Amino acid sequence: MQSIIQSLINGSMMGAVYALIALGLSIVFGVMNVVNFAHGDFVMLSMYGTFWMATYLGLDAVATPLITFFLLFAVGLVTYYVLIDRTLRQVYVTQIAVTVGLQILLRALAQVVWKAQPRALTHSIIQGNVQIGAYTIVFSRLVSAGVSIIAILAVYLFLMKTWPGRAIRAASDDLDVASLVGVDYKRTYALTFGLGSALTAIAGGLLMTFQQVDPTMGVRFGLLSWCVLALAGMGSIPGLLVSGVIVGAAEGAAMSAWDPRARSLVVYMIFVLVLWLKPRGLFGRK
Amino acid sequence: MKNGPKMSLVVALVGAVLALLVPLVFGGSQYNMVLVTTVLLYAVLATAWNIIGGMAGQMDLAAWAYLGLGAFTSGTLLLRWNITPWIGMLLGGLVAMAFGLMVGFPLFRFGVTDVWYALSSSALVEVLRVVFLMWEDVGGPVERYLPFHNWSWYHMRFGSYIPYYYIMLALLGVALFANYRLKRTRLGYYLRALGENEEAAEILGVNARACKMKALMLYAFLVGMAGAVYACLYGFIHPSFFSGFNSLEVAILGIVGGMGITYGPLLAAVILVSGKEFLRSTLGGQLEAIYLVIYAVVLIVMALFKPEGIATLLEEPYRRLRSYFAGGEDVQPDTRSV
Repeated sequence: MQSIIQSLINGSMMGAVYALIALGLSIVFGVMNVVNFAHGDFVMLSMYGTFWMATYLGLDAVATPLITFFLLFAVGLVTYYVLIDRTLRQVYVTQIAVTVGLQILLRALAQVVWKAQPRALTHSIIQGNVQIGAYTIVFSRLVSAGVSIIAILAVYLFLMKTWPGRAIRAASDDLDVASLVGVDYKRTYALTFGLGSALTAIAGGLLMTFQQVDPTMGVRFGLLSWCVLALAGMGSIPGLLVSGVIVGAAEGAAMSAWDPRARSLVVYMIFVLVLWLKPRGLFGRK
Repeated sequence: MKNGPKMSLVVALVGAVLALLVPLVFGGSQYNMVLVTTVLLYAVLATAWNIIGGMAGQMDLAAWAYLGLGAFTSGTLLLRWNITPWIGMLLGGLVAMAFGLMVGFPLFRFGVTDVWYALSSSALVEVLRVVFLMWEDVGGPVERYLPFHNWSWYHMRFGSYIPYYYIMLALLGVALFANYRLKRTRLGYYLRALGENEEAAEILGVNARACKMKALMLYAFLVGMAGAVYACLYGFIHPSFFSGFNSLEVAILGIVGGMGITYGPLLAAVILVSGKEFLRSTLGGQLEAIYLVIYAVVLIVMALFKPEGIATLLEEPYRRLRSYFAGGEDVQPDTRSV
């Protein structure tokens, strides 16, 4: 019992990071209606970015998002202008083909550059545990959860209070009307896509404090974030956080109570069941 | 117009004869035979996918789930009860079909479409992989080898890859024929209407759920049969057969080839998979995975600049050929022949 509660705690903290990853996917899908199959591979890319920054610049993993955030933003912009923008006026299967192609491309590039073996960082300033009663809270996971929640709040405020944020929301509600009142769709979409991929940089930096990275892990993060998004439904940022925690906790519970291999099984079962039974998610707006 | 079906029959026959002669060219090297058989496998999968993806417009990303089910059914029957894979092939197809029915029913009942259909089918591959990894009686983490026979038709095990080539070719024939026939039936027209615009088709009285269900079951059955052959070809069964990545590839071949065009996926598989394998064998030694980079770039470029499919590139030469044989008179593009 104790071990189940322990893994629920760990899983919930992990879930906040999942929510942050899903937030990037959510604004891209919600605003542009673009299905990005390569989103998980952006996470993989950010984790490798963090690995490089930490190895060659001697930065600590938690500090690397200060640089990788802008790198991934640039990657997002390039992806938007080179690939996504051309698919907007075409049928959605073209979009799927292009983003799946991008997924294969990023994964293959990672294999070429970083080879197929997993990479990890040895130390971080946020090491150690906090003991609360019988339960151990791993400090790096706690900080990760905290930073993720702060980042999610920051995005929320950005979308609600600033002009570019308002433009993004306007484009999401009705692109034609937004264009009439002076929103430049191309810039807004580029900003949205850049932001969506830049958010994975924060998650990537946090994940590298307690995880390793390998070129194939993009698929897992991709499906995971779609799962969180499906559970939350479109258009609710707090709902995303709750769903992330539910998914993370379920994952943790499955690992300790059932079988470590059942980890992804539980996530995908939640995903499939939600799609069948509650297609609008728990907190869906549309 | 009256020349239409005959001409496409001629093209099909020439293609079939060429395909039958392939082992004469590559038969000397077993490695080459594996490669052409792999190309054929992808051609079968993508052609079958064309029914659910290309015609009905359902972006199914679970091809290798059905393939794995077919492989495990036939492989387990052979290992446990010594039942020939020829029966296993049929049963494997039926198991895959039953699974398709099981997942398709709620999906179509609750109106899961577009991207959500694609993602949930993608998730199902992973679910099956983990299930078979944990199900030690049938799957488990260790490969289960099929009994070795140097030349046994009963066990579908041969010391050469040439028989597998012909078995796979026969399956491809079945898949192409299924596509070709389906297009000329009421169900085929319904499916294409669905693929164009699901809501409009429903308003016009198409029973979308039933039609999609039939398409999914046919596709699953064909892929399940191919799975049984796949298991015999490689001589083992393993949960890694449930590969989400390979399933994505199948869908991509279907899209790039040309959605709903009978020979489109075949064309894409022949060009892209053989190109990929060629790159793998020539570049693989120097820098691993560089072949995948090139492959991915080619896929993206094709999808971006020829969104209606590379098969459409052949339409114009084909039309010219027909008008040449029709005695120089200009023949209108015949939509029935594609």
